[in-house]
Amino acid sequence: MTDDSFFEELSSATEAELGKMARTPSRLKAKVFSALLAQQAESGPLLSVSGCEASGRPLCVFEKAVEILPVGERIKSLNFCRVCHARVAAEKMERAPIFWPHCPYSEFQNR
Amino acid sequence: MSRASHSSNEPGAAASASDDAALVAAVLQRDRKATAEFLSLHADSIYSYVRSRLIPRADLVDDVFQEVFLAAWQGLAGFRGASSLRSWLLGIARHKVEDYYRLKLREALPIETEEGDPLPLILEPELDQAVDLWRLTQKVQQILGTLPEAYSLALLWRYWENCSAAEMAAKTGRSEKAVERMLARAREQFKSRWKGE
Repeated sequence: MTDDSFFEELSSATEAELGKMARTPSRLKAKVFSALLAQQAESGPLLSVSGCEASGRPLCVFEKAVEILPVGERIKSLNFCRVCHARVAAEKMERAPIFWPHCPYSEFQNR
Repeated sequence: MSRASHSSNEPGAAASASDDAALVAAVLQRDRKATAEFLSLHADSIYSYVRSRLIPRADLVDDVFQEVFLAAWQGLAGFRGASSLRSWLLGIARHKVEDYYRLKLREALPIETEEGDPLPLILEPELDQAVDLWRLTQKVQQILGTLPEAYSLALLWRYWENCSAAEMAAKTGRSEKAVERMLARAREQFKSRWKGE
């Protein structure tokens, strides 16, 4: 067996096990989501919470509260997650004690 | 050509092209909920791939993972649906990993080819006797984790990403001979650890 064929055989034998589906740490998903929202908000307003709801994705309790406020779309497009304690907890703890339905940070938790 | 297909049985693995297109359109509208769904659906396959390709640098996995998704957001408008969204993301991940390989190997490889230092003779590690797949993989991971970083990355690039020495040379701007020499030294060290020397 040549060196090359040994390593080719080894890589082929271990590829599936090596790349076996691993769960992404909750904290990492939370951080990346925050970074994505920050980038999106830098280049333009986020879709308003009313717009999100209209697209069929349910809102969390805080977003719902904003949605029913008598304010304009500009306010409803702000990145509220940025000031939410759920974000802070989810970015710092692997099993953050957040259980709000439809909160992305809660849904990222590997429970 | 890389074998990084990493198909999975996680939710959304069978998402159709129309599902992908709808999700991409929603993310491009900066829909926060769609963005969370985009991340949730594809995080595990990207994370698994990046982790498997950066064995000697587990500390970098989080950063590269984040870079993949930020680059995806920046390039999402260019997603045409020619492949699945997952394959497209894995393509970005592959490029990010390769960027790191290129950087580290460029630093480690000499600019000029040295003469002498002949390639080592072929040895025969006893792969057939490897007990089971899990233990085999653990052993491979353990050895790759303890080799000098450039050697581990060179082996991963060459054999797990199926990149030829010529391609590695072209991508690092070094000679093929220099890449071959590094691979030979990497293989030699790997084999000696494999045999428990």
